[in-house]
Amino acid sequence: MSQYAIKAEHVWKEYTIRHSLEGPQTSFKAVLNAPFNWVMRRSSKYAHLKNTEDFFALKDVSFEVEYGESVGLIGRNGAGKSTLMKILSRITRPTRGIITLYHHVNSLLEVGTGFNIELTGRENIYLSGSFLGMKTSEIRRKFDEIVAFSEIEQFIDTPVKYYSSGMFVRLAFSVAVHLTPEILLLDEVLAVGDADFRQKSFIKMKELLSSGATIIFVSHSESAIKEICKRAIWLSHGEITMDGPAVSVVDNYMQSISQHSN
Amino acid sequence: MAFIKKADGFVPIVITPPSSLEMPNFRELWDYKGLYFFLVRRDIKLRFQQTVIGFLWIILQPLIQMLIFYVIFGILVKVPTNGIPYQLFFLSAFVVWQFFTQVINNSAYSLVGNIGVIIKSYFPRLALPLSGIASSLVDFAVSFLVLLVFLLLDGHYPITLRYLLLPVLLVITIVFSSGVGLLFGALMVVFRDTKNFLAFILMMWMYVTPIMYPITLAPERFRVLFYLNPMTSLVDAYRWVFLGQGDLPKISYLLISFLVATVIWFCGAIAFRAMENKIADVM
Repeated sequence: MSQYAIKAEHVWKEYTIRHSLEGPQTSFKAVLNAPFNWVMRRSSKYAHLKNTEDFFALKDVSFEVEYGESVGLIGRNGAGKSTLMKILSRITRPTRGIITLYHHVNSLLEVGTGFNIELTGRENIYLSGSFLGMKTSEIRRKFDEIVAFSEIEQFIDTPVKYYSSGMFVRLAFSVAVHLTPEILLLDEVLAVGDADFRQKSFIKMKELLSSGATIIFVSHSESAIKEICKRAIWLSHGEITMDGPAVSVVDNYMQSISQHSN
Repeated sequence: MAFIKKADGFVPIVITPPSSLEMPNFRELWDYKGLYFFLVRRDIKLRFQQTVIGFLWIILQPLIQMLIFYVIFGILVKVPTNGIPYQLFFLSAFVVWQFFTQVINNSAYSLVGNIGVIIKSYFPRLALPLSGIASSLVDFAVSFLVLLVFLLLDGHYPITLRYLLLPVLLVITIVFSSGVGLLFGALMVVFRDTKNFLAFILMMWMYVTPIMYPITLAPERFRVLFYLNPMTSLVDAYRWVFLGQGDLPKISYLLISFLVATVIWFCGAIAFRAMENKIADVM
């Protein structure tokens, strides 16, 4: 029996899009109007006045990931990649279906999670690390390593607002790559910093993989997926189009895109 | 989310669709204890950095309020306070009220105010409003010291054994205000006008709580209405501690306040849980 890291069973995610100018939140006024709107909507004559629309960002998605596997997620914008990552990272919950995570998960969906520009580099390392689920003792133990990796030693007690954008990104990314996840969910964050730093980050990713971590990686860079991942899942319109060896899935995906644009 | 125990100790996490009644996961909250510390540090540091006078502001705020109310109700209107100087009468309730509203505001804004990190990482969302309690306690400690200085300078109000009741009163105040704040925090996710609504409610609430006037000013037959407001008896009890006015609050009464506060807290926490499942989708 193989050991699973993630098991997703018939996952659906439904979103409600609002077309009105009200924006995502409603107001008390909208609540008072609700009964009236409801009656209006019931009569088909006024159906076009309906200002919300439901759509499924994920439709019946099922897959299993074995421990130590590296899986790339590809697909066009709006295919459901980010939604799937958000559900796996427990930021939002599925509408239907069950996902089981068999190991400790860390997700890295942006660079600089929880960073505050008013705080110093040191304070941000601790705050961001805590948000990402590190224990204080763990951050303390890795602190020097994080600072060294980011190459900003002499500015560590300077408020981050005085950093250059390059320094900011290096520090933020350095915190992130020093997580020791068993499952890492990674969203396009490899493409930060200058070429040197990108190379360093890339090596760090490979180290993580060889240490046996499971990685789910979303990227628009087909070459990065081919290099890091053995397997790829291609999503389109919320459904799995293809799931298999990274090289063949990426090639098929590329082919479909070029056909589309011709 | 349910947990299934596995042989090697790690509990697999099962992600399911949200159900409408979910209790806070206290074990997970405990696992993130490091986060509270750094959140509180962030809050305190940012607050002191933003204002030029920083720390002084915590002292000045109740003092300025006290001065205004002293002029209006102590000198002009001459509210009867049973022989207690009006400044002390007002300040002894106002420091508590300030703490109460600060906890409510911190909790109410905790979800919408941290939306950036909420949509990008997972952590128990309740850590945000709960850490707000601790940073409000820092402010309370300072304004409490200011009150103590005034009480001791007056000379008639020494620190007595009555102060032993203070921690009990504080716990009830914290649980109650946190519960109310969580309810508003949940509302804030769905209704944008909660902001205006909340400021208005807190202002009205202050007027119906005997802070700037003694409860004895209210006609006898309406007085029971005042006690429907849990803050009335709490403020009474604080005044008993600080000023020695009135009777020792009944233990049964404190117990009831605590129970009511706890029920409200759990209602707030459940509403908050329901909204934290939604917030990443609506914002």
